[in-house]
Amino acid sequence: MNKLQTFTPSPARPAPENTVGPAVWLKNNLFSTPLDTVATLLLGYILLTILPGVIDWLFLSANWTGDSQDACVNDGACWVFVSAWSQQFFYGSYPTDELWRVNLSIAMLVVIIAASYQFEKGVREKIIIPLFLLLPVISIAILDGSYLGLERVSTDLWGGFSLNVLLAAASIIVAFPLGFIWALGRRSHMPFARSISIILIEFFRGVPVLALFFMGSVMLPLFFPEGTSVDKLVRVWIVLILFMAGYMAEVFRGGFNAIPQGQYEAADSLGLSYWQKTVLIILPQVIKVSMPNILATFVMLFKNTTFLLIIGIFEMLSTTQTALSNSRWLGGHAEEGYIFVAVVFWTVCFSMSMIATNIERKLNTDHQ
Amino acid sequence: MTNNPVNRLKTDEEIITISGLNKWYGDFHVLKDIDLTVKQGERIVICGPSGSGKSTLIRCINRLEEFQQGSLVVDGTELIEDVKNIETVRREVGMVFQHFNLFPHLSILENLTLGPIWVQKMPKAEAEAVAMKYLERVKIPDQANKYPGQLSGGQQQRVAIARSLCMSPKIMLFDEPTSALDPEMIKEVLDVMIELAEEGMTMLCVTHEMGFAKKVADRVIFMDAGEIVEQNTPHEFFDSPQVDRTQQFLQQILNH
Repeated sequence: MNKLQTFTPSPARPAPENTVGPAVWLKNNLFSTPLDTVATLLLGYILLTILPGVIDWLFLSANWTGDSQDACVNDGACWVFVSAWSQQFFYGSYPTDELWRVNLSIAMLVVIIAASYQFEKGVREKIIIPLFLLLPVISIAILDGSYLGLERVSTDLWGGFSLNVLLAAASIIVAFPLGFIWALGRRSHMPFARSISIILIEFFRGVPVLALFFMGSVMLPLFFPEGTSVDKLVRVWIVLILFMAGYMAEVFRGGFNAIPQGQYEAADSLGLSYWQKTVLIILPQVIKVSMPNILATFVMLFKNTTFLLIIGIFEMLSTTQTALSNSRWLGGHAEEGYIFVAVVFWTVCFSMSMIATNIERKLNTDHQ
Repeated sequence: MTNNPVNRLKTDEEIITISGLNKWYGDFHVLKDIDLTVKQGERIVICGPSGSGKSTLIRCINRLEEFQQGSLVVDGTELIEDVKNIETVRREVGMVFQHFNLFPHLSILENLTLGPIWVQKMPKAEAEAVAMKYLERVKIPDQANKYPGQLSGGQQQRVAIARSLCMSPKIMLFDEPTSALDPEMIKEVLDVMIELAEEGMTMLCVTHEMGFAKKVADRVIFMDAGEIVEQNTPHEFFDSPQVDRTQQFLQQILNH
């Protein structure tokens, strides 16, 4: 006679004592081998000798209040320099009464990025992506003002960190689709599209970005019809777009290679057209696998906007240098100035990393 | 084939006509002078050793592979370079792949509605209703909002079958649909395919599931080295194969 037994899983037991707790963490991570112990002690000693001085200079003996360098009486950092120049650092020479326009542009950028998290896919595709693509135009209209009946602010006055941010964003927004089209061209079977794409991609990736900036400010006007003059900032924008598109195209190419052939075949067998297949099936997957590299390219472009100081655009680094050479601030505040620039850029780049990690996690629908 | 009511659906109308088809990969002659006609409602199982060209043959039918010589007519549309013809044929022919090839970035429901919405221009609500109907038929309506990566292999393959059916194809091609599945999951996929066959779908199926072939096929085709070596009814094919090569092959796959 067959008697069926019911299977009951045995209850889970607690983890052994010696695998949890702070003491175990210390032992595993800092003192697990003799060599580790030596390294830990050595590094600890170095940190202990350096850190107090650094903290003292940065915070404890630093000068925080005042409005001229006479206020800097202590030995530490003179943060008064940064606070006194903060408006220039962030907005360049943009008229004080019109700063709301810069703030509005930045706010729009932040709101759209935040909105792309909040809303579901349908809204994202129909509203947020078109808004993103329009953003450069809207921002230019607001900042310039003359199209909207506001007081015109010439681009010579635009500057500071807001310019770094807006210029980078405006370049990325245009370069993203352009780079994708170049990458498609490079994979194309049509010889003409293919060779044009390869030439563009290799040119803009192969020439140093500084050389491109000089070409943009000196050579690009030669290509425009006679009698028209194109604003220097617009020329720089075009250079940044093309440079970025070259890099993006190569990032996308890597992504394309990672998409299994079966995805193309499945799309084909459903009868989707080339563009439907590319936009609906391939593009989203390419973006997903390329996400870490896309972000790295964004960060690189964002930091490269500081090179613009060389051709006389008043982005943050060049405003800092101008402030350093001001006759009322000749006390040698280079450390404070550059540390501040570094901290600001680092904060933004790090936030971009966090956002990207978050997006990656969101896009990862493979195994949940 | 007598008491099966489905056989009444069969007509003598030829839905696929392949004649003198030759294909080369570079110098390698993959398909050699293939002649094959398939009638409306016919169920054909194609078997043969790997590299015999059986997958390549059915992939020619919806033009996933090009061929260099011969002609191939699907439901009155001749497959030539013309993109229009190719798209017409692909709309009428559904395909199920060995590795499912679901779109990983889309939910199950979106996988199913993509074709109807974009190719057939069906309104979204209607496409979703159709999708749910077929998901119920393959018995996984409760997975509609999950993503392919969250499903088992057998479930994914059933979704892939449903995705093809949403396009209401006249012909279904199966390219080793169970070869990538765990043994436990083969049956659930075969059951769906058997049901489909009983409803009168025209099917061409590359598979080594001989039980399936015996049960549903009208004709079994054995291919080797790019040629159709033998074709017959399953009964004749398995009980009295005519060609030595077929006997060898059957011995190998049936007696292991």
